[in-house]
Amino acid sequence: MAKKVLGDDPFKAEPAKKPKATKRAAPAKSARNTVAAKARAARETVTSAAVEVVAESPVEAPIATVVPAVDPPVTGVPADEVDAMPVDVTPEDVTPDDVAPEAIETVTVTAPEPIPAPPFSVEDRFEQILAEASPDLIARMAERLRASEPETSPEPEAPTETAPAVAEVFDVSREMMSSDYYLRRWGKVAMRDRSQDVDDFGLDLAYESRWRGVFDALYDRWWKVEVEGIEHVPSEGRVALVANHSGAVPVDGIVLATALRKEHPAQRRLRWLAEDFVFHTPFAGAWLSRLGAVRACQENAERLLSREAVVGLFPEGVKGISKPFRDRYQLQRFGRGGHIKLAIRTGTPIVPVTIVGAEETHPQVFPAKPLARLLGVPFVPVTPTFPWLGPAGLAGLPSRWKIVFGEPLSMADYAPEQADDELLVNRLNEKLRGVIQQTIEQTVRDRRSVFSGWRR
Amino acid sequence: MSDARSEGRGVARVAPPRRTVALTGADGFLGRNLIGLLEDDDRVGRVLAIDVKNPPTAGRKTRFYKVDLTQPSVDQSLAEIFASEGVDTVLHMAFLASPTHARAWAHELESVGTMHVLNACRQHTVRRFVLWSQTLIYGALPSNPNHLTEDHPLRGSAESRFLQDKIQAEEAVARFARQVPGTTCTVLRLAPILGPTVTNWLTRFLGHRLVPTLMGFDPLVQLLHEVDALAAFKLAVMRDAPGTYNIVGDGVLPLSTVIHLAGRSPLPVPHPLAKPLASALWTAQLSEAPPPFVDYLRWVCVADGAKAARELGFRPAFTTREAVLDYAGAQSLRDVQLLKPAAG
Repeated sequence: MAKKVLGDDPFKAEPAKKPKATKRAAPAKSARNTVAAKARAARETVTSAAVEVVAESPVEAPIATVVPAVDPPVTGVPADEVDAMPVDVTPEDVTPDDVAPEAIETVTVTAPEPIPAPPFSVEDRFEQILAEASPDLIARMAERLRASEPETSPEPEAPTETAPAVAEVFDVSREMMSSDYYLRRWGKVAMRDRSQDVDDFGLDLAYESRWRGVFDALYDRWWKVEVEGIEHVPSEGRVALVANHSGAVPVDGIVLATALRKEHPAQRRLRWLAEDFVFHTPFAGAWLSRLGAVRACQENAERLLSREAVVGLFPEGVKGISKPFRDRYQLQRFGRGGHIKLAIRTGTPIVPVTIVGAEETHPQVFPAKPLARLLGVPFVPVTPTFPWLGPAGLAGLPSRWKIVFGEPLSMADYAPEQADDELLVNRLNEKLRGVIQQTIEQTVRDRRSVFSGWRR
Repeated sequence: MSDARSEGRGVARVAPPRRTVALTGADGFLGRNLIGLLEDDDRVGRVLAIDVKNPPTAGRKTRFYKVDLTQPSVDQSLAEIFASEGVDTVLHMAFLASPTHARAWAHELESVGTMHVLNACRQHTVRRFVLWSQTLIYGALPSNPNHLTEDHPLRGSAESRFLQDKIQAEEAVARFARQVPGTTCTVLRLAPILGPTVTNWLTRFLGHRLVPTLMGFDPLVQLLHEVDALAAFKLAVMRDAPGTYNIVGDGVLPLSTVIHLAGRSPLPVPHPLAKPLASALWTAQLSEAPPPFVDYLRWVCVADGAKAARELGFRPAFTTREAVLDYAGAQSLRDVQLLKPAAG
């Protein structure tokens, strides 16, 4: 019974064949090899104890060292070898009398000769495993190896000499008939535009750079964004950009990020905080998250600022984007001053940002409250273009935009504990709101018309 | 035995006293492999494997005790075993790796079983108590921050027995830690484990050719390689680190990328249909996880491993991406039957 249990154990028996089979069957997949290498490194660093024991107990060493299965691919032992091990070391037979503590220590001390750590070369081992393996397994492995090494196997060569085109057509059509083919194709297509690594908040650089062209075109050609005072954004270190939020479809985060990337000398990357309901909406949340938006909450903002990021904040929140068109230049309440508390606590300078033009790009036609209630979101944007034109409707109307970066408000004068001083927070919040409101009115006054922009 | 040990500590002795470690749930994936690790460690003199089935990795140092934690008054027999063997460390890992339909039995084993083990530890004071917990019990909610720290409330779905039992076990251990100051209690909250040899609900979920996802939702997923999971438990046994730690792999990946890296294709389901569908499949015993797990396909549940790095000294050797690739390597061999399916 013990033999059966041990033989069936996948950690000992099977993985021994795995790395070799992987190596032969898929030599091109270097990623897997690096993982195996890392597993080896991990075994050596994390559990150095496992390696030390090799030198201690000579008799059971092969069993004792391979059992941990920390790294099954490297330290495996074939099933047959485990089967052949002496009966007196099977767990059932270990009684308290057999392993008194003294006995263990004697064994530990009087280890005569260390077993060489990897006692055989990989090739030898492979041959040995093949010799011990069942004929059925050998046949299957041989088939796999033949299939994966076309240059050494005679089969594909013969047809290429006679009729290469026919052979190719045959190969391709055979591949296309396999049920796996279309799934694999689809997998490749789906991974084409994105990287296999995202940052901790889900920003995918490959995916983002693919969208850059679209955003640049909208920025330069459609909205013709003008930027003023970009020098107020420091070239390094943490900074919070507090902006007004307007337009029924919140694209101002993306435009602000594009402005920083295109206009700022250091090409700083903006991480902006988006409202919860964006992440409740299918597709929107996943899409914006890959582009650099982060769900708005204190923990996320603090973590971003602790990494010296540029964080875009829209303290008006949903109230800002759902306000009626007639109130478009009227700032809403700036939350409860959470952004001020955050800035005081983390010692982050605040740069007030005024965005004018988003209001006219996405004017709210009517508040679709019943629809919003039905979908369980606080607000459904209905504009002249969205949702009627689908994703293309996100471009909105070609109104001119202007982004004004104001003088930074330093928080260096305040101690982190003063974040709890509600009166101070409220005073700073109102001051900030006043600055932005004033700049909005000034910018709107300077504008010639909505669609032709500012006088030069 | 414990007396002899405490006397020996004062005298000049070359070898420090050896540890006696008891593992509950020794025949699970973690238990089986940890026995191997502990057997290889000089500092461990004796390993007690406590389970209903003898773990196949048991070697010379291991002694197997057949104890069923679902039986009443099992705490008495556990306490006797602990006392007679002089146990100084208890690794409580008698939890289910995957949700089960036998909810009542699971409750007896996980929630009540933890109570029995803790009662045994109240009768025979141990130096260290390590609990296996999971980051899943934070719950996947839309209001989660992107990185959950250890002090975040546990908001795992109240409908899920699987999560609630583990939350109850953690609460019981927190009570125990307050009442018995002599015992160092370490709670390890592990991210979902993935790797070449482990089997759990996640490996079965990713084993489908078409993996169901929610249309328009692509949450960030955080995984832990099986080697890192074992290394974390080894650290917790060897280091004095009271408290709760998130044990997670480096980095996160969108769910869809995980599925593609595993060589599978996503099957997007509209989210209003997902819960009824999951419920029907679960009732028909065709799915590996109950309906509350649909939340994990929609919202983010990612834990912050900074505290474990700082205080426990745990650094994962594998990133989330490497864990997926390692799993995919073994799974592709299992797919063509070159490798036997991993044992549960």
